[in-house]
Amino acid sequence: MPSTITTDLFNIATSGVNASNQLLQTTSSNIANVNTEGYVRERTSFVSQLGGGVGRGTTARVIDQFAQNQLRRDTTTVGEWEVYENKINAIDNILASEANSLASGLSNMFAAIQTAADDPSSVVSREVVLGEARQFLSQIGNISGFLEREEDELNLQFNDSIEQANSLIEAIGTLNKAIVVAEGNNPDVEPGALLNQRDLAINQLASLLSIEIRDGAGVGNTINVSLSSGESLVLDDGSFNLLALGSSADLTTQELQLTTSFENKNNTVINVREDNLGGSIGGLFRFRDEVLGVAQRDIGQLAVAFGDAINSQNRLGLDLDQQLGGDIFALPEFTGLPFDGTSGDLTVNGRFTAGEGINVTDADIKITVTSVDASVPPQPDEITIEFLEGNGDPKLDESGNPVIFTGVTVGAGFTDIEGGIDIGFDTTESYAVDNEFLLQPTKFAGSDIALATNRPEDLAFALPIRVTPDVDNFGDLKVTATRVTNTTVGTGTDRSAFDGTGDIDDVASSPSATLGAPAQIVFDSSSQFTVFDSAGNTITVVTGISDYQNLLAQAQASGAGPAWPAAFSSLEDYPGYDVSLEGEPAAGDSFTFEYNTNGLDDNRNAILLAQLQEEGLVQLSSQSDNQTRTLHEAYSSLVGAVGSESANADITLQAAEALKAESSEWLNSVSGVSLDEEAANLIRFQQSYSAAARILSTAQTLFDTLLSAVR
Amino acid sequence: MRVPTSLLFDQNIRAIANNQSGLIQTQEQLSTGKRINNPSDDPVGAAQVIRLTESIDKLTQFQRNNDLLQGSLEQQEVVLSGITNALQRARVLAVQSGSGILSQEDREAIASEVEQIRNEVFDLLNSQNANGEYIFSGYQSGTQAYEFNPASSNPFEFLGDAGTNSVRLSDSVEVRSSISGFEVFENTLARFDIDITGSTGTANLTDNTIVQQNTFDGFFERTYDAVTPANNDFQIEILASGDVQVTNQGTGAVLATRPFTSGQPFSFNGIQFTLEGAVGDTVDFSLQAPRKRNVAETLHDLTNALNNGASSGADFRSAISDALVGIDNGVADIAQEISSIGGRLNTAQSIYETNLDLDIVNREIRSNIEDTDYAEASAEFARQETALQAVLTTFPQISNLSLFNFI
Repeated sequence: MPSTITTDLFNIATSGVNASNQLLQTTSSNIANVNTEGYVRERTSFVSQLGGGVGRGTTARVIDQFAQNQLRRDTTTVGEWEVYENKINAIDNILASEANSLASGLSNMFAAIQTAADDPSSVVSREVVLGEARQFLSQIGNISGFLEREEDELNLQFNDSIEQANSLIEAIGTLNKAIVVAEGNNPDVEPGALLNQRDLAINQLASLLSIEIRDGAGVGNTINVSLSSGESLVLDDGSFNLLALGSSADLTTQELQLTTSFENKNNTVINVREDNLGGSIGGLFRFRDEVLGVAQRDIGQLAVAFGDAINSQNRLGLDLDQQLGGDIFALPEFTGLPFDGTSGDLTVNGRFTAGEGINVTDADIKITVTSVDASVPPQPDEITIEFLEGNGDPKLDESGNPVIFTGVTVGAGFTDIEGGIDIGFDTTESYAVDNEFLLQPTKFAGSDIALATNRPEDLAFALPIRVTPDVDNFGDLKVTATRVTNTTVGTGTDRSAFDGTGDIDDVASSPSATLGAPAQIVFDSSSQFTVFDSAGNTITVVTGISDYQNLLAQAQASGAGPAWPAAFSSLEDYPGYDVSLEGEPAAGDSFTFEYNTNGLDDNRNAILLAQLQEEGLVQLSSQSDNQTRTLHEAYSSLVGAVGSESANADITLQAAEALKAESSEWLNSVSGVSLDEEAANLIRFQQSYSAAARILSTAQTLFDTLLSAVR
Repeated sequence: MRVPTSLLFDQNIRAIANNQSGLIQTQEQLSTGKRINNPSDDPVGAAQVIRLTESIDKLTQFQRNNDLLQGSLEQQEVVLSGITNALQRARVLAVQSGSGILSQEDREAIASEVEQIRNEVFDLLNSQNANGEYIFSGYQSGTQAYEFNPASSNPFEFLGDAGTNSVRLSDSVEVRSSISGFEVFENTLARFDIDITGSTGTANLTDNTIVQQNTFDGFFERTYDAVTPANNDFQIEILASGDVQVTNQGTGAVLATRPFTSGQPFSFNGIQFTLEGAVGDTVDFSLQAPRKRNVAETLHDLTNALNNGASSGADFRSAISDALVGIDNGVADIAQEISSIGGRLNTAQSIYETNLDLDIVNREIRSNIEDTDYAEASAEFARQETALQAVLTTFPQISNLSLFNFI
């Protein structure tokens, strides 16, 4: 038997008023939080009560887990490409700037050389060449310096991002714990605010790194957070692991590590793969490894190839002081950085091999000592050379194998190794097998290359040798080309016939005991000539010739009675000059090689210098069999590569942003607050409140009626 | 679909931002006149532009080289023509002075005129260009090309060298820009001649004159041997048969047999001999080694011959012949160089035209790649403007619609 009607009505009315009140609370809270980031609208739901009235309401967030996960993944993608696009645009912009265009710098330099070639003895036009060279160096230094500053900035950004990620990881762990506690205290009310905070932190972390979320195994609404590659960040019991930065040989190249914080186990440091991190941290790594490092090294490679080509050609010439040409550019030297496990006191010194700029690649080079000699202290005598990408991964050749050279023997002093560089070990230090060093020949070369001279006279526009026909020649042979291939002065195997004091070798200074350098060619008939030295000694006789190209090369190849001296042919390139003639010789015609004394108006070497503009001077990649490119081609392919990466980043970012907008709309359409909806609810719940209150007043009236009836 | 309040704002703000960034990009294209403002705008195009700009820059330099080349070639042509004119006048005087009716005073008057011409030629040989460089000195342009030492056997000594410079007119064409005094002046051959080296018996050679220089020159060029001097020696022998026989003493070959009457001239390859003698008598002669004499020296020799009244008639005639042949050879060498200059000027001119065409084509291609198509860009700008305007107009209207306004 139910109790009195009025009692029931009172109960029902109270539960109705309470329910409406709760509904109004939820609605008001939704309205109040319309602009709160990460807020998920809440709904209060009720079940009717047995015996009338409405039961206790439960308030829960309206959320779609799938939409939330989708948004998180899209946030990661946007985070990665936003930072990548932002960074690469900066490089794109500096390459676009007319003032920094290395292409125009190069063009101006070579144009200045050509103008100077028109009047080789003019100091003014030589000064212009040096001025343009200076300008070019400042351009390449600007770009290179900009890239270096980018790297510094990048490292600061790594620190900031890692700190931010760590504080988010910590916050998620703490919230995990707090949620368990809150749910235990009040099982009917979802701790919405805490969940929102945790979701927000997760989303922020997702914009930094690609992460995966799994529901926790224990009690309560806890979650596990891990990197997409599997390493755990937050565990459901609230404990967490932190990210840290480390570095290998090159201290400026940061690597990502994870420090575990297990409570009962031994903690350790794990290296994390950087190439698929995702998020803005992944974007920074991607930028560094795919764009910045490559651009730095390509610019450096270009600078070295250019400097070495000009130097090499200039050394073959004769300058305005009538000396053999020297270096115009000072190519930088570099020091090998010891890897972990190799003592920091050990060093390797590196420099670019003169004349081998064409073999310089954009690779970093890892040297591993595989054998040391018996000297005290022990010095390496055999090494392994490995070509690396800027991020430390091995360079691959066309069949996908790492570029490695094993069993390379090294001696005292500098040894010429693969990649156009010389290396030398410190003779005062003891080296051991498995010492490892990292050489970065081109990374800073763009900033470090400098002019070796400020004297316009040092530009060697003339060739050091001239070939003069005898005035009494009866035939019509003419000199078509004089070639100079070697001007090295000294006594080594690389020596040339130039004695360094303004002449070519006579008997005393030449490598032969009885003969001087070739100084005269006399035709005995149209098919035979004799080569004499400056003292008139016969060097060799060449018979049966059919053309008059490179006569000294022909003499070396087929001279007989006497043959070309062994003292000459045992050297790498002696005498280092040659001549080609054209026409028909008469017997007795003679041609004399002489040092180009006073040859101030000679522009032959200037023309050769200017022609470097069209020559392939820059190695395409680390493979020695690869084609070379001209300086302009190398620069334009760098600009094209950065441009296309940048364009690609623009498009990818737009796509990612569209996707993120889409998933954010999806999530919002479920979880976002609609003020119109809440306004309608407000009216609805106001009305239900009034109605419930009306029940109360009805019950009151009923009760009063009943009282008055019995009165 | 449920439309939460934030969606309304987010979507519109995004639309405005997108439209604005598009507008700014189009506006940049319009204001700079360039479609490619960053390499990322068109990476392939940007790389092409760099290479095209390189070509254009190079062409500009080639044209500058071409201008300078044409200037210096024209200067060389003027100097060489000046020398040729002077030599022509000297030739007229040489011919005139050969006339037998002139007195020694007349010859000396001609001599002083020839001397003037010689000085003029000497001056021209030391011509300098605008930079003060001696144009005939080869690489040693700082050194005066010719020096005058009257007492020397080579009174006008060449101090330069055979070096010549080239100028690049295109990627593949290099043209000689300088001239070498060595090639043009020092290679001029003096008149070929013979020396009488001896005789036997009663032989008395009263005359040996080269009457047909061309015939003799041909013989000389065929026969002269620089390596074996003996091959240049010849012997004339009076035979019992009443002939004379000319033998090459090096090879022993009998070159000619001529009917002989003592005291009467006979000819051998343009040389006329008048010989008195008996059977078995011989006369030896040899070819003079070819000498080279520059035109200034030829004129100098002529002046000396004209001034030297004591010389015999034969010597004087031979000196005049030397002068005429020397001048002719010199003029021929110079003419060869002038025609070579003309050829090079033509080459330069035609390469200039080609480069000009290439330059225009390259500029056109570059413009097509990197310049803004104004019609297209303006249309695009108008379209984006309309879209932005639409968002800006509708956004406030939508955002004003709220149920709260009605309760």
